[in-house]
Amino acid sequence: MILEIKKYPTPPSVQYATDVRVFDQNIFSLIDNMEETINANNLDGLAAFQVGSYYNIILIKNEDGTFIELLNPRLISTNGKITTTEKTAYFPNLSAAVQRHDKISIVYQDRSGAQHSLQADGALSVLLQRKIDYTFGSTFLPKLSKDEKARFEKKLEFGADVAISEVCPTTFKRDYLTKLSNILTIIIAAIFVVSLFVSEVEMLSSLWKTQLYFSYGVLATNIIYFFYAQYEGKSYSSCTSCQIGNIVGTTVISLTKLTLVMILSYFFVNPF
Amino acid sequence: MARLVVLGGGVSGHTAATFAAKWLGSAHEVVVVTPNAKWNWIPSNIWVGVGQMSKEEVTFDLAPVYAKAGITYKQAKALSLNPEGNATSNKPFVTVEFTAAGKEGTTENIEYDYIINATGPKLNFGATPGLGEGSNLGEHTVSVCTADHAVHASHELEKCIQKMKKGERQKFLIGTGHGMCTCQGAAFEYIFNIEHELNRAGVRDMADIKWISNESFLGDFGVGGLHMKTMGYAVSSKIFAESLFTERGVDWIIGAHVNKVESGKAHYELLDGTMGEEEFNFSMLIPPFAGVGLKAFDKAGEDITATVFAPNGFMKVDANYAAGAYENWKASDWPKTYQNPTYSNMFACGIAFAPPHPISKPMSSPNGTPINPTPPRTGMPSGIIGKAVAHSICDRILKGENAPLHEASMANMGAACVASAGKGLFNGTAAAMTIYPVVPDFEKYPGTGRDTDYTFGEIGLAGHWIKHILHHLFIWKAKLKAGWTLIPE
Repeated sequence: MILEIKKYPTPPSVQYATDVRVFDQNIFSLIDNMEETINANNLDGLAAFQVGSYYNIILIKNEDGTFIELLNPRLISTNGKITTTEKTAYFPNLSAAVQRHDKISIVYQDRSGAQHSLQADGALSVLLQRKIDYTFGSTFLPKLSKDEKARFEKKLEFGADVAISEVCPTTFKRDYLTKLSNILTIIIAAIFVVSLFVSEVEMLSSLWKTQLYFSYGVLATNIIYFFYAQYEGKSYSSCTSCQIGNIVGTTVISLTKLTLVMILSYFFVNPF
Repeated sequence: MARLVVLGGGVSGHTAATFAAKWLGSAHEVVVVTPNAKWNWIPSNIWVGVGQMSKEEVTFDLAPVYAKAGITYKQAKALSLNPEGNATSNKPFVTVEFTAAGKEGTTENIEYDYIINATGPKLNFGATPGLGEGSNLGEHTVSVCTADHAVHASHELEKCIQKMKKGERQKFLIGTGHGMCTCQGAAFEYIFNIEHELNRAGVRDMADIKWISNESFLGDFGVGGLHMKTMGYAVSSKIFAESLFTERGVDWIIGAHVNKVESGKAHYELLDGTMGEEEFNFSMLIPPFAGVGLKAFDKAGEDITATVFAPNGFMKVDANYAAGAYENWKASDWPKTYQNPTYSNMFACGIAFAPPHPISKPMSSPNGTPINPTPPRTGMPSGIIGKAVAHSICDRILKGENAPLHEASMANMGAACVASAGKGLFNGTAAAMTIYPVVPDFEKYPGTGRDTDYTFGEIGLAGHWIKHILHHLFIWKAKLKAGWTLIPE
């Protein structure tokens, strides 16, 4: 019987795998069905977990069409690192660059429960590691580097393995301008608080002038921010049009804060 | 007046003795026999081992606490049990040898009506050549199993830090020192606390840190791993642990039986049958546990140790020791009342009872060497079991010999574990995990054998704060200060 392979977005790890304890006909039937499923879908390997079974079983298809049946596999030792582009049936038509161990040694049981060990390197090593991850309820997602994960999530959003050279970053250089604007506004507000304890007209006058200079600075910073932010957003092709909304919103918030603090200062600090 | 003798004053024995004294009142006698003058909150030894706590902060004198509780305290170690008495008396007794200064070596027979064996384990360093002799730590590695060991470990760690500051690269090897160890959690905490301290000292880049353990996968922890439900996803402890190790730059060797330790080098055998060796400048390897070596004799003086104790030296209780192969293991194999099947007035709790089989999948190398974690009995289950056993005995003393026994099976019990990964008020981290039940019940919960709704985990600063609060809370409870009975085990 050909089994249905679970695919994204069905969460893979809400289910989980457990060791085979009783080696009986149920397990043998599952293995036979997995073999049929591999042949029908032209796969190089399959974890029972991928077809909705919680048993810790992996099947690997050899080049001659025979199968390696691995029950309760454990990755025991590793050597070296290798990064390859991997595909898996769980994410159809998608691929990701995943760093794996180059050479591995695993122990596993066969249908009779007898224990064996297997040394693998290169493509077989990568395939086994990916399948063992499944048996512990995980895809290759947690293995991806931060950048590769961001790229892969973008691919998931598009639903295809499109070539994405870069992703829209979550932080920009323009953020420094926002920070500068906020710091200047805080200084103006601090001067306002200080002025409440000052009664000399001359002192109040110099405080008000300082506030005015700083407010020009905030204004200028926001103007530079508004135009530079748009320029910076356009330099990332994957950034969506909602960026302009963020830029306008940030500018309006910043100027509103400035206006409020300056209105208060006009009435309480300005001695004229 | 009935007399209850409690052998051992660790988490389980201390809990059992103090609750029994409270429930029995002054009408009956509770005697505690323990070779130690001080009580030790063992989970915090990790912080002593990295110099973040002193020995005094994790220990306190037992004598004043027992005096306050009305418990007769004998600083002595138990040697043998005579559950049928001897030729001159039918009264069962335990023979103890005093360890207190001035009385060392003198022995005494203490008669009892009921006895609780809560001796904890013998730290079996001698099982691995080079790791130590008998229960004594060897010269090549350090340990955090006792407060004194932890103080020694922190001094050795400081020496390494000084060497690194002078530009000398150091290798750290932390984990289990035998194929049949338990307590992976303690080693897990220690390796990440060391990593944290090296960062704090500014020498992390001069250190190569490696984990070595008998688990068949990272995150087994002696309980066959667990699936932590967090934010709607069930994440395997393997994925969780591998992520943490990778993030902290800690390499690992698993499925390893350390078979020999030399100066600066550990030899090991892997589950695939291959042999390897690992060099180190600093190594903390947890020893395997065994029973403390109590003997038992019948009325005629014949040795009945094999009747009372399992081959590993732990006391037999109401467990199914004939479960056989892995596929036959059931939750019901695990003891419920902790009563000895031969002598109904003998109980065992904490690490001192003989578990029916491991929790993790049994595995061995092609050479026939068994390499799998043995079942852990951490503070929470030990405390709960100790209290349940004390309850049973108090009921039998106060209500009669047919009073039903209280049950506390690890297959019906959850456990919470907070594993420290670095100490610091603002930059500390700890993994907080709950697991239910401790022993998987494959019939009740097909699949992993556990209820994932009650098995979850999280790592972060809040976990560290909880761990630190628990340190003070449990020492408060153990000192029997105001409200101690309200603090859970």
